[in-house]
Amino acid sequence: MMKRREFIASASALALGTLAAPTIARAQGTSLKVGTYGGYFEESFKKHIYPDFTAATGIEVDSIAEPTGEAWLVQLQQAARAGQAPADVSMMAQVARIRGERAGLWAELDRGAMTNVDNLPEHFVHAYEDGRFYGTGAVAWYIALVTNTDVYPEAPESWAALWDPANENSLGLLALASNSFLLEITATTHFGGTDILATEEGVLEVMNKLAEVKPNVRLWYRDEGQFQQALETGEIPMGQYYHDVTGLAAADGKPVRSTFPKEGAVLDSGSWVVSKASDALEASQVFIDYMSQPEIQSKLSRFVGTAPTIPRDMTDLTDEEFAAVSSDLPPILPRYELYVDKADWVNQKWSEIVTG
Amino acid sequence: MSGLRQKPTPGWLPFLPAAWLVVFFLVPFAIMLTVSVAHRVQGGFYEPGFEFDSYMRFFSVFFGRILLTSVLISVGAAVICVLLAFPFTLGLARMNKRGQTLVLVILLSVLSLSEVIIGFSLSTLLSKTAGIGNLFAALGVTEESRAYTPSLFALMAGMCYLALPYSVLVLYPPVSRLDPELGEAARMMGASPFQAFRTITVPMLRKPMMGALILVFVFTLGIYLLPQVLGQPQHWTLSVHITDQAIFQSNLPFAAAMAVFLLLVSLAMVGLSLLLGRDKGGGA
Amino acid sequence: MTELSLRSITKRFGRMTAVEDVTLDIPDGTFVCLLGPSGCGKTTLLRLLAGLEVPSQGQVIVAGEDQTNVPSEEREFGMVFQSLALFPHLSVAENIAYPLTIRGRPKADVRARVEELLDLVQLSGLGDRRVHQLSGGQRQRVAIARGLTIDPKVFLLDEPLSALDANLREHMQVELRQLQQRLGVTTIVVTHDQKEALTMADMVIVMNEGRVQQIGSPMEIYRDPANAFVAGFIGTSNLLPCTLNDDRSIEVFGHRFEADAEDRIKGDPGSGLMLSVRPEDVRTEAQGTGPTAKVIFIRDLGESIQFVLDRDGHEITALYAPSARPDIRLDDEVGVSFAPGKRVVFPA
Repeated sequence: MMKRREFIASASALALGTLAAPTIARAQGTSLKVGTYGGYFEESFKKHIYPDFTAATGIEVDSIAEPTGEAWLVQLQQAARAGQAPADVSMMAQVARIRGERAGLWAELDRGAMTNVDNLPEHFVHAYEDGRFYGTGAVAWYIALVTNTDVYPEAPESWAALWDPANENSLGLLALASNSFLLEITATTHFGGTDILATEEGVLEVMNKLAEVKPNVRLWYRDEGQFQQALETGEIPMGQYYHDVTGLAAADGKPVRSTFPKEGAVLDSGSWVVSKASDALEASQVFIDYMSQPEIQSKLSRFVGTAPTIPRDMTDLTDEEFAAVSSDLPPILPRYELYVDKADWVNQKWSEIVTG
Repeated sequence: MSGLRQKPTPGWLPFLPAAWLVVFFLVPFAIMLTVSVAHRVQGGFYEPGFEFDSYMRFFSVFFGRILLTSVLISVGAAVICVLLAFPFTLGLARMNKRGQTLVLVILLSVLSLSEVIIGFSLSTLLSKTAGIGNLFAALGVTEESRAYTPSLFALMAGMCYLALPYSVLVLYPPVSRLDPELGEAARMMGASPFQAFRTITVPMLRKPMMGALILVFVFTLGIYLLPQVLGQPQHWTLSVHITDQAIFQSNLPFAAAMAVFLLLVSLAMVGLSLLLGRDKGGGA
Repeated sequence: MTELSLRSITKRFGRMTAVEDVTLDIPDGTFVCLLGPSGCGKTTLLRLLAGLEVPSQGQVIVAGEDQTNVPSEEREFGMVFQSLALFPHLSVAENIAYPLTIRGRPKADVRARVEELLDLVQLSGLGDRRVHQLSGGQRQRVAIARGLTIDPKVFLLDEPLSALDANLREHMQVELRQLQQRLGVTTIVVTHDQKEALTMADMVIVMNEGRVQQIGSPMEIYRDPANAFVAGFIGTSNLLPCTLNDDRSIEVFGHRFEADAEDRIKGDPGSGLMLSVRPEDVRTEAQGTGPTAKVIFIRDLGESIQFVLDRDGHEITALYAPSARPDIRLDDEVGVSFAPGKRVVFPA
């Protein structure tokens, strides 16, 4: 089973990271240290991407497995204070990226030296408020509406299926506001877009709408594996899940399907950023620039299963290859700032209204 | 006296437990206390400070209910575990030595199973598609298979499975030391087997039972995975919320404040039960 | 009337036979000691009487009724266990009251009975104490009082005094005997201490290897042991190989002497026999009148003088009162005689 985002495992990593970091200080060598989420991502990059990168640029890559969640951010932060960079380039989740941005943790990059960055859409080009460029989208994936094909012979067309009384006690949804993006899904499905989430009143209104799905929810999951297994057996026949992983399971013969609802699927992503303590800035820029090339993005889609961060027409993906990882429908873009600026408030209200 | 007097243990040995207590309990606890009053930086992490905001956030009806849920679930698990472990241990103590060793080894091997394995095994076992529901349906007990998880029952089953070996291991030594002549004496004096059990065996094992209750209570209070896997949102204990705050929200001050409070509550419960279970005039 | 009878009782634990084919009758009001070495089955026999064990074969009959399968709690017996089995979580008074409280007797009656019993065992005023606050002798009394609470039909005691030191034990033996005589309750005490058995009992049952060896009064057991085991186990006996002639004369170490009418001959002429004589019935004389032996050890025991003699590797012990001490020394060769009427001959 493919488990890319091991939330539970990161618990211990966080505790260690908080108390014992920085410990991953290494001698700054000639190679570039690149951090990706430990497990599937790190292995795939080591296998499919780094060797070609080294061949093309002559820069050796020292691959580092990072914990997901906030733990890596904390480690980078504490290491930077000591002038250390456990990794030069890191793949960061969006909330962590924004937190790092607020803390001024990311090194400014020279966009002029990175021509391929122009390929990326605006939401994958990250800059400080004053315009200083510091990072790009690295990989993207969709959270889509998934169903068990034995239980649902017809694919649902809309996220509205979550609210359908016919689906009582049969949904598996992610347990937290900040990783399920159910607020964005609800806002798009019932309130015409995510703009309503700009105010607290709007967020509460959306939450109350979302709370209506509670009778349908069998499992609020934090661990992916738990839901995937239940989905495959039909135990929990509907829910939100990763589009690519579901596609792989279906290709494996499992009775599951992933659907892009007409409102769009949630596009979540990880981004490349460089620690300000890194002394391999140039090599880092070369790496990020390299990763933004259409052929590399196509390769990622084929071998790692991520959605390309560049427009489809720049890639050479076939329809089938493209459909396996993405969709032409406009995606639902998460409002990450909500989970940075109002994190505690959203979390508290979420606990009270939605899962409480 | 001939020769030097040899001390069997070095003189510093008694200080070792104290040192360990300091290193492994007091220091982490001090760190936790410090973090709990630190300043939470929204959208960042936390910075050193001295404020009670995290504690204030905790004092709400919402978290009060969660605390109550946590305590009730743990008390329930403790009572169920001891009720199951007590007769089990009495039976165990009556087996021959080989049988006892075998059972104890099996129990110890159960301890090696992690919360994760137990949680996921039970959620499969109690599922609609692959669980005992099918068996019941096949036997005609129920019309069609159904899921028994997530539910309070599933959560309790998981917690008790996890904690039962501990309660047996706490009860086993005093139960096996219990003089069988005491029960026989009661029988000779006219007590039926049940009366002998009620008036002699149970009161004499009150302290170990109290110990097992406290152990299971404190142990289950810290379980944070099973409620997520086997319970519904209303069964998510304080430990689950602490995990959420620490890992997913990066709100370590709040997580620490809740942990401090959880610690205080469990200490209070232990103190209360010791007070209630105190022997009236000194024990055996 | 609480007559107690065992009919062909056998008790096996797995392949081990603890008690084998025991038949005996105990009259009402008798003080009985079950005596034997450890592992002889005496405790098992007591537990069979108590109903704590069910016999593999045979019957237990109490006052004419078959009680073989009646559970302990319905037999109305009192029992003192070897460990005493006092309840540590109860006070002295609560321990003594236990048989009555378990029967749901009114509180006032219970209190009165407990006072009476505390008085009986001289523990008045100690009712509120905990068991662990008492001395060994006091605990003993509590256990005895507790066994007597319901006026038991039969009072059973398993090695009740074994944990006490010698002085206290002798004192308690007397007290127990006096108590039993006052109450007249049929009492059965298990002991491995022959002296204890002989001082307390009306009737001694000697057991060995699961079988009853002899039943009789202390005097009978002492003076007229049924076999070599009893002779050896009760007191000290000189056991010497002997032959019996058709004319009832006994030959020991080649010396022949006539048997007295009082002497007990339990063997047949021609078979291998043993002569048993108590040390106080062995006399030394001038050489020539009986078998000779060499003095190998002399010991002053205070109340008596002990001479140990050797003849062909057989030890012969003689006891003299200090006033009657004969003038013999270590390594002397002396003649030996055995007091007429005190000689017992039985199969080896």
